[in-house]
Amino acid sequence: MIAKTRYISDGKKALKELPIMHYLDAEYLYYPVTSARCPEGETCVRGGQFVKVGEVVGTRKGAFFEQPMHATCSGEVVGYEKHIDQSGKVVDCLIVKNDKKYELHESISERTDEEIDALTKEAFIEIVKEAGLVGLGGSAFPTYIKLDTKDPINVVIANGVECEPNLIADYGLMMNNPREVIKGLIYAMKASGAPKGVIAIKKKYIEIEERLKFVLQEFTEYDIKVVKVGNHYPQGWELDMIKRALGINIPQGELLSKYGVLNFNVSTLQSIYNAVKKRLPVLERLFTISGDGVHNKSFRARIGTNVKDLIELAGGYKEEEKPKVLILGGPMMGTNIQRDDIVMTHTSTSLIVLNENLDKEEPCIHCASCVYSCPVEIQPVQIMNAYKVRDKEALKTLEVNKCIECGLCSFVCPSKIHLTEYMRSGKRFAGK
Amino acid sequence: MQAVKQTSPYIRKPISTKRMMIDVLIALIPVVAFSIYRFGWDAIIRILVSLVVMIGLEALAFVMMQKPSNSDNKWEKFKSRYQNYTINNITAPAVSAIIFAMLVPSKLPIYAVVAGAAFGILIAKMLFGGLGSNIFNVAAAGRIFIALALTNMFSGTYVGVDLVAGGTALTTLRSGLLFPQALNSYSISDLFFGNIPGAMGEISALAILIGLAYLLIRRSADYRVVVSSASTFIILMLLVGFKLYPDQAFEYMAYQLFAGGLLFGVAFMITDPVTSPVTRPGRWLYGLFVGALIVLIRLFGAYPEGVAFALLFANMFVPLIDYPKWATNKIKPAFIASYLVLLIVIGLVVFFGVGGAV
Repeated sequence: MIAKTRYISDGKKALKELPIMHYLDAEYLYYPVTSARCPEGETCVRGGQFVKVGEVVGTRKGAFFEQPMHATCSGEVVGYEKHIDQSGKVVDCLIVKNDKKYELHESISERTDEEIDALTKEAFIEIVKEAGLVGLGGSAFPTYIKLDTKDPINVVIANGVECEPNLIADYGLMMNNPREVIKGLIYAMKASGAPKGVIAIKKKYIEIEERLKFVLQEFTEYDIKVVKVGNHYPQGWELDMIKRALGINIPQGELLSKYGVLNFNVSTLQSIYNAVKKRLPVLERLFTISGDGVHNKSFRARIGTNVKDLIELAGGYKEEEKPKVLILGGPMMGTNIQRDDIVMTHTSTSLIVLNENLDKEEPCIHCASCVYSCPVEIQPVQIMNAYKVRDKEALKTLEVNKCIECGLCSFVCPSKIHLTEYMRSGKRFAGK
Repeated sequence: MQAVKQTSPYIRKPISTKRMMIDVLIALIPVVAFSIYRFGWDAIIRILVSLVVMIGLEALAFVMMQKPSNSDNKWEKFKSRYQNYTINNITAPAVSAIIFAMLVPSKLPIYAVVAGAAFGILIAKMLFGGLGSNIFNVAAAGRIFIALALTNMFSGTYVGVDLVAGGTALTTLRSGLLFPQALNSYSISDLFFGNIPGAMGEISALAILIGLAYLLIRRSADYRVVVSSASTFIILMLLVGFKLYPDQAFEYMAYQLFAGGLLFGVAFMITDPVTSPVTRPGRWLYGLFVGALIVLIRLFGAYPEGVAFALLFANMFVPLIDYPKWATNKIKPAFIASYLVLLIVIGLVVFFGVGGAV
């Protein structure tokens, strides 16, 4: 196929029909002390101490920000164990034994609408910072830094595209809690001073559009629009999505706020709503187990749940004798992990288990499918050839750093060459 | 449960190089069937010889290029050389072999067929590193090799030559009857349906167009090179037609289009991805090169036919077109402008060049 590939069969239809199992009563809950963005962290509770829902149990420290960790259940602190977090690394986790009473911490109380109306921009940012909110689309970038911009913001975009196959967390959220998403968007607009709000969804999600528009009738005093963007991959990439939804062409590497745009994932907006209105951190998320190597199931689970329990509840692996590929996130850009001993964090939405299917690499026949399909319009095949001869100059000329590692080049290659891996190596080599 | 290590993406599109090769083989069926219908056993034998030589020599060269394992058992050692031998090592030379066979006349001595096929696969392909590494089109290289080295063997090998015309449709334009009279020997409909002398696969425009349509529908060929080269050729030949035969410009263009190897080259040789550039503008430019070179060779060259020459010549420019400094996949206004300027310049050269008017 010598052609531009944009559409990937996403397998979401079957997943959307799965019943959602509520599993909020895990015996023990685990809280990673460090994360990919925060290499340091410390806890402020002792073994045996009783913690409540929403209580701060520690702080993760990144290069330029700090992020509090919250307990998502009430119970006793038991100790520490090593588990795998969203980034696939083994990290120390604080364990809390769940007493299943879910006593709220004293600080947790709902704000009234009047109180919220009186909040200033600084107050909003402070709330978001206190709640430890991060980009829930997968980047885990701290939300308050995005909000705390000096540039004037014209429009806040809610990104509900979720273009990767097999992911339905955002879809489920918009379907079940559209009001919270919209309120979160309104708070984000207030916090950034933006007069306009836009919710970007896929063209084919007619049911979501209807639902959002129905709820929006309650909020006619705000200028919020639902914009339908393309169904293709990677439409959820913020620059591509903004280009389609707003018609603003933002070059790579520029800050969105310079162009008066702020972009949040719909899940992030819901978490902003919870933080502002209920003073709650992120407590639970929709988690989907999919793929051909496991029994598929959707869960509503508490942050800190061990995914191993969820796999068992779903029915375990299929064809245990076959080697499996475990993926956290989507099948195009997700993280590969070697153990199923995973702890759910804020950004976890999906575990995919595939039976290993090794395709032999054939020689490149210069069909240029990768060049045609590349969303950032670089030339993967030429970058591969330049990397093979370690030509740093050519790699820079070919703009390897523009690569967003969306995985399309590897996906389309008829010779099954793992081009995305060459892109990563090329980036590393050019940056040396 | 055993978890294995992989890096993203973890899924692949269900297409393969094998499918693209087999698509070309399927697209060649009408052409091959027509040549067998027209030339019978002559065609079958030459196709088979070409297939055996190319696939066999590729297998042999492939073995010699592999490093064997350090096993004491001779048989094991031999088998290890074939570890990376895949279906593509059969389909790819098969495609080249059939295309090469379609480029030769039906009465060409078997010896010449063997020589051309062997040159193509060994020198033009395996010496460059095998599948995907060759810079010259394999079939075209083999065809040009025998055309230059064994020129005499071609005389009298074309079947069905019109006695009045005294040559194939294109040679008659040079040495026998000139254009309007040549139509009496070879009418446009004869040219289209293949009722003319010529190389086995090149004569029937109809069969070729069916194959081309299949290739384009299956997206196993890039339409850009096809459209670019064919339209360049048609525009330039129309210009010449208007200059030389103002009343019959379209007939002249159609005659040039259907006579000789142009359509076959456009459908099956230019579309070879291995020897094409890898960007959109690059492919448009490549098509322009080939189309213009064919016209220039046909009008001003020493040979009546120029597809294979033009192709090899354009192949040499591919690394230049793909040079990272200027290769880009964006079609910019500057590119469109330079494409048109190039077309106009070549058009002017051709227009004032023919007939010695200036």
